[in-house]
Amino acid sequence: MYIYDQFDHTITRERVAEFSQQVVRRLIGELSEDQFRPLRLMNGLYLQLHAYMLRVAVPYGTLSSKQLHKLADIAKKYDRDYAHFTTRQNLQYNWIKLEQVPDLLAELASVEMHANQTSGNCIRNVTADQFAGVAGDEVEDPRIISEVIRQWSTFHPEFSFLPRKFKFALTGAAKDRAAIQFHDIGIQIVKNDAGEIGYAIYVGGGMGRTPVVAPLIKPFVARSELLSYLEACLRVYNLHGRRDNMYKARIKILVRDLGPAEYARQVEEMWPMTRAAGVDVPASEVARIEAFFVPPVYEKIAEPVASFVAAKAKSSAFARWVETNVHPHKAAGYGAVTISLKPIGGIPGDASSAQMHAIADLADAYSLGEVRVTHVQNVVLPNVKQTDLFAVWQKLGEIGFADGNIGLVTDIIACPGLDYCSLANARSIPVAQKLSTWFGDLDRQHNIGPLQIKISGCINACGHHHAGHIGILGVDKAGVEFYQITLGGAGDEKASIGQLLGPGFAGEDIVGAVDKVVNTYLDLRQSPAETFIEAYRRVGPTPFKESLYGRR
Amino acid sequence: MAQVKSQTKVLTANRLRNGETVYYTPAGTWSLYVTEAKVSTTPEEAEALAKIGADAYAANQVIDVAVIDVAPGSEVKPTHIREVIRATGPTVRTDLNKPVAPPQR
Repeated sequence: MYIYDQFDHTITRERVAEFSQQVVRRLIGELSEDQFRPLRLMNGLYLQLHAYMLRVAVPYGTLSSKQLHKLADIAKKYDRDYAHFTTRQNLQYNWIKLEQVPDLLAELASVEMHANQTSGNCIRNVTADQFAGVAGDEVEDPRIISEVIRQWSTFHPEFSFLPRKFKFALTGAAKDRAAIQFHDIGIQIVKNDAGEIGYAIYVGGGMGRTPVVAPLIKPFVARSELLSYLEACLRVYNLHGRRDNMYKARIKILVRDLGPAEYARQVEEMWPMTRAAGVDVPASEVARIEAFFVPPVYEKIAEPVASFVAAKAKSSAFARWVETNVHPHKAAGYGAVTISLKPIGGIPGDASSAQMHAIADLADAYSLGEVRVTHVQNVVLPNVKQTDLFAVWQKLGEIGFADGNIGLVTDIIACPGLDYCSLANARSIPVAQKLSTWFGDLDRQHNIGPLQIKISGCINACGHHHAGHIGILGVDKAGVEFYQITLGGAGDEKASIGQLLGPGFAGEDIVGAVDKVVNTYLDLRQSPAETFIEAYRRVGPTPFKESLYGRR
Repeated sequence: MAQVKSQTKVLTANRLRNGETVYYTPAGTWSLYVTEAKVSTTPEEAEALAKIGADAYAANQVIDVAVIDVAPGSEVKPTHIREVIRATGPTVRTDLNKPVAPPQR
């Protein structure tokens, strides 16, 4: 893991001191809310329905056990004993008191964490593949360049007041587990014909009220020139992005209006200037950062591992959990465990301080002290020996997180929705809970197969409903919560935007409607091997529309 | 719950220092409980509440000030689900909810 140098420590400490003073000035009335609001947002502090909410950055989803212990301590001391993992690999506290924020931030800084740039019109926390560094299919560990981007974008003076927020996501593998094409800039690490590592740059993706799958702007940028290219991308946006209308201010609108080819041309035109400015990082500095991500020394373990094979044979429940929740590891004899924060009927992404401490303890005991956060609101132990998987599974059972449902119908993304969020139009979490309970039977889940349901409580789409195989969007219809269904979205390397099926459903009818969609799929699939999204792409929306609304 | 057009309104906000949801009371204080809110029944009274809210905002006591609809009747009850949730807490964590009225003293 990256460890702060003196510069990181200094700027973090100085920012805590600066914002602490701003909080004091706000509390004694020296700053008005209009003056304070942009300052608190730059420090990740929102006002929600019931209290302030603090969004803590988890850079590229990587946490140490020590950091997770601290996050748990903070949940107990400053919140109501729990926290929420988000779709941007961040962590949110829901019940924060403004007067306690300085102390909270100081505690975060003590474990090299902060809430900088988790809001505001700046470059937000960089997200990445949760299996970075351990996936066998990656070209390069995306955390190296993610950290380079984090350092470059932190307090970047030119990009602190962009037309709108700006989000990066990276994948080091052709298999996209980071939804890169739904980000302002998505980066895929690739190899060219000469075997050199470089970066394919997608620009102008996003969700929200105008969902766009990012076009490929540049198929290969060399590592030595990446930052100057990204700076050129941002500078074109900063110059020409719309500031007159916040709904048209994201880079996706600029790229769409100019056309990807013209946008790419303008970036090329800008690039010599950013290149000449010397923004590119020397190879020695990249090497310094890379050294923090050198793989740990793994034990040499021959597969198959007899005890692991025996444990699966003895417990079919364990074998099923392995099937869904353990990802192949590049080191023989190891696995990457995804801990489902989606217990049946539970709140997606929520964890109590006790659960967070327990996961941190598991990371220390079984995963070389490391934890990852996924954009699907789960948590990963990236380095677990296969001999230890059974013990990990049993211990997860003790904290209620042993569900073997990763990638299945109950592995639902849900934003906080109207239960917490001041922007929401409808509740998301209760819909997720009802669907999870309805589809909870594990045999049924396995029969249905891979299926991603994603729920947003408003058009801002924090619940990624546009990228759901089944997307659910909550709307307010004359004061009543209604839910629209979209089908066919995907956030992987075959990214697509879900299509609206028809009129929405009342809260009491949405589970039945989703059940009809699922049953329609089960009826029409060619074989159990044909997944929901494959079947949808083969047949289109018509059979599903007919099942919900009848023939028209 | 259907939204009802209401002439009865109360003043709500969040307390600056801790973000708590609060309601303006007949005593001129801010209460955690919607049932203790001062109720306006005419447009003039609602306007007066809005003015009080604006003054409290300017005085840095509260933020996110709004005059909201409540149902007519003896018990003060918000009509819109957003405000129902604000008055008590998340519907998915009822263990953390506060009552709509203060506990018996």
